[in-house]
This record gives sequence, C-alpha cells and structure tokens, in this order.
Amino acid sequence: MSASVSQGLASPLSVRPTGWVLAIFVALYAWLVTIAPIDSVQGLIQKILYVHVPCAFAAYLGFVVTAVSGGLYLWKSDLRFDRVAAAGAEVGVLFCSLMITSGPIWAKGTWGHWWVWDARLTITLMLWFVFLAYLLLRSFTEGSERAARFSAVYGIVGALLIPLNYYAIELFGNAAMHPDNLERDSLGTGMGWPFLVSILTASAAFFHLLVLRIDLAKRRSSLEQFAEDL
Amino acid sequence: MNVLLAVLWKDLVSEWRSRDRLIAMLVFSLLVVLVFHFALPGGATPRNAQHAPGLLWIAFVFSALLGLGRAFQIELENDALAILALAPADRGWVFLGKALANLVILSLVQAVVASVFAIVFELPILAVAAPLAGVVLLGSLGLCAVGTFFSAMSVRTRFSEMMLPVLVIPPLVPVLSAAVSATAELLRGGEVTFSSVQLLVVADLIYWIVGFVLFEYVLDE
Repeated sequence: MSASVSQGLASPLSVRPTGWVLAIFVALYAWLVTIAPIDSVQGLIQKILYVHVPCAFAAYLGFVVTAVSGGLYLWKSDLRFDRVAAAGAEVGVLFCSLMITSGPIWAKGTWGHWWVWDARLTITLMLWFVFLAYLLLRSFTEGSERAARFSAVYGIVGALLIPLNYYAIELFGNAAMHPDNLERDSLGTGMGWPFLVSILTASAAFFHLLVLRIDLAKRRSSLEQFAEDL
Repeated sequence: MNVLLAVLWKDLVSEWRSRDRLIAMLVFSLLVVLVFHFALPGGATPRNAQHAPGLLWIAFVFSALLGLGRAFQIELENDALAILALAPADRGWVFLGKALANLVILSLVQAVVASVFAIVFELPILAVAAPLAGVVLLGSLGLCAVGTFFSAMSVRTRFSEMMLPVLVIPPLVPVLSAAVSATAELLRGGEVTFSSVQLLVVADLIYWIVGFVLFEYVLDE
C-alpha cells in the first residue's frame, strides 16, 4: 500500500493509548473481582454482576453514540460522523449480546428461570433487535452515502423508541424482576470498588474497540479512494 | 397538500385498476387464518377465542407487510420514485399521501379479516363495532406510518422483502401491545382502558410526525 493510503493512520501493530488504558483496567478489574466478597445469599454466581452490568452500560453507551452521531451526520453530512455511528452500533451490539448471554446465566441461578419478560430485559432485547436491524440495513444498502443516511435515520428512530417501549412494557409487561437501582449503597460491603472498576473497564474496552473500528472504517475508505484513483 | 392528495389519488386509482395488491393481501390473510386453525391446539374455534385478539393483529401485520412491500416497489418501474422525490413540495407530503393510501387499502382487508375471525371464533364484533373500528384505526395508523416509512427505505436495499419486516417490527411493538390489549378488552365485553388508547395516540403522533420530518432523508432520486 502506498504512503498516501496509510497517511494519518496508526500502524496496525502499534498499540493505541486507549489499549494501554484498557490493559491497566483489565489487570485491576481481574484482581478486584477475584478478591471481592462472595454474596451470602446468591453465592459465587453473584459475581456475574461484574460482567453483566458493565456490558449493559457499554451497550447503552454504544446506542447513544450511534443516535447522536447519526443526528450529527444528517445535520452536517460529514462521513466522519457516520463512521462513529457505525462503530458505536457494532460495539454496542457486541456488548448487548454479552449482556443478553450473561443475564440468563445469572437469572437461572437466582430467579430459577433462564428468561423472564421483565421490563428492563424486554426493552434491552428490543434495542438489540433495533441495532441488529441497523447493521443489516447498513450492509444491504447500496452506496455509502445512502447507507449512512438510512442508518442515521434508523438509529434516531431506535433511540426515540426507548421511552415509548418503556411506557408500553410498563403498561402491559410482567412485573419487574430487576432491582430498581444499583447504587453503591445497594451493594454488599466490599463490592462497591470492584463494581465501579468493572464499569470503568467496560467503558475503556468500549472506547478502545470504538477507536479501532473507526480506524478500520478510515482504512477501508482510504483503500476505496485509492482504488478509485487508480 | 396538493402533493398529498395527488399521491393518495394516484395510489388508490392504480390499485382500483389493478387490484393486485388488495387481492394478494386478502388471500394471504385468509391463508393465515387457515394456518392458525392447524397451528392452534383445538383449532380456530370459539374454544380459543381468548387468543383471537392477538391472532387478529398478527394477521393484520402480516397482510400489511405484504402490501407495504409493494407500496414503493411499484414506483421503481419507469423510475417513478425519482419523479416523486422531485415533486415541488416537502417530501413529507409524499409520505403522508402514500401512508394514507396504504391505510385505505389495509382497512378494506381488515374489514374482511375481522369478519372471518368473528365467524370462526364467534366473536361479538357487531356489539362493539364502533369502538373496535376506532381501536383498529388507531393501531393501523401506527402500522401504516412505520410501514410506509421503512418501505421507502427497504425498497432501496438488496433483499428488500427480507429487510422490511426486520426494520418494521421492532418499532411496532408499542402500537401492537396497546392495540392487542384494547381489542381484547373490547371483545371481553369491557371498556377500553384509557392507558391503551393514550399509548396508541401518542405512538401514532410520534410516528406520523417523525415520518413527515425525516422522510426528506429517506426518499432520494
């Protein structure tokens, strides 16, 4: 590849600053989760908390990034915002899938069922479908400008759905099983710091993957430009 | 406004002349009733009347998806979609015209399907005809707004038949849950709760306004 194609992009082998931050957090996270006290009621399975909730946090972060970047793309017509939106959706779907996988394992151990139609669970499942549809729409739409425009619109509609779905599920869904909040006071003694670090680790992982994904999109578009110039 | 009326009139006249979409939707929704009969333990009989509201809305959604898929497909012929995009008015009016035409066509199908449901499940629809029609209209307004909006999008994608349901069903959940709940309340002989109607009205307003505003970014030459 010529120098002009890789201009402004990091070498594939170099580690970005976000990668170093993530490495430090992962080490701290592993240590804190290992020494965190075992819940007296739920036992060892409660430690899924340090995977499940941070994944949920990162998933919602991804969906917010997608909706906001999509709105900015429609406003400014700048493809850089579209790259951020697409990266946010992909990383968001990844974390959402991890959340939907870790949740039932925890639920079977504590509630006795793999799946319940709890309000928060249902709304997250629907968001997962919205963003899977978003990714399908991107890959099936021809033309990068049109794909960017369509997916920006779908991302905004997906974000608008959150309050509407929440209201619908509160009205017609089953009783809530998730706790109302997960403030530090609701956690047992010694669980606060591991929980906080797990959220920070998921955020660091989110931003690292987001940066890598944006970088990949940049490389792809440089390569397409290069091929066109030839 | 003129664009709205022109698009509405054009769609209804072309449907009246060919009647292909209407007939396909009708036959398909009746086939869905047949499938329900063989899929339900005990069949599509009065014994399963408690499931009828949900099944009725499934039949409505399936037939609507079939018709909505064609709504913009026909505009691809002779590149009519590009001409629509060049109409000398806000593209939101094209959306409103298309969505209203879809609503009229869907309503005709719904009247037949609801009658068939009333016969096979022995539902007391005549006793609650007016409020039931109101609930079905509110649900269909949301269905047609979401469906028309994403039909314009899916027609520009590869595998448009597959993309339409994938795009439409997630945003339909609030409308469907409220419509099914309100229909069930009516068919049980009760009154519709305010919260169901409120959710339907709020969702409809959001979808029609969002559709009108964002259609600018969906319809292109």
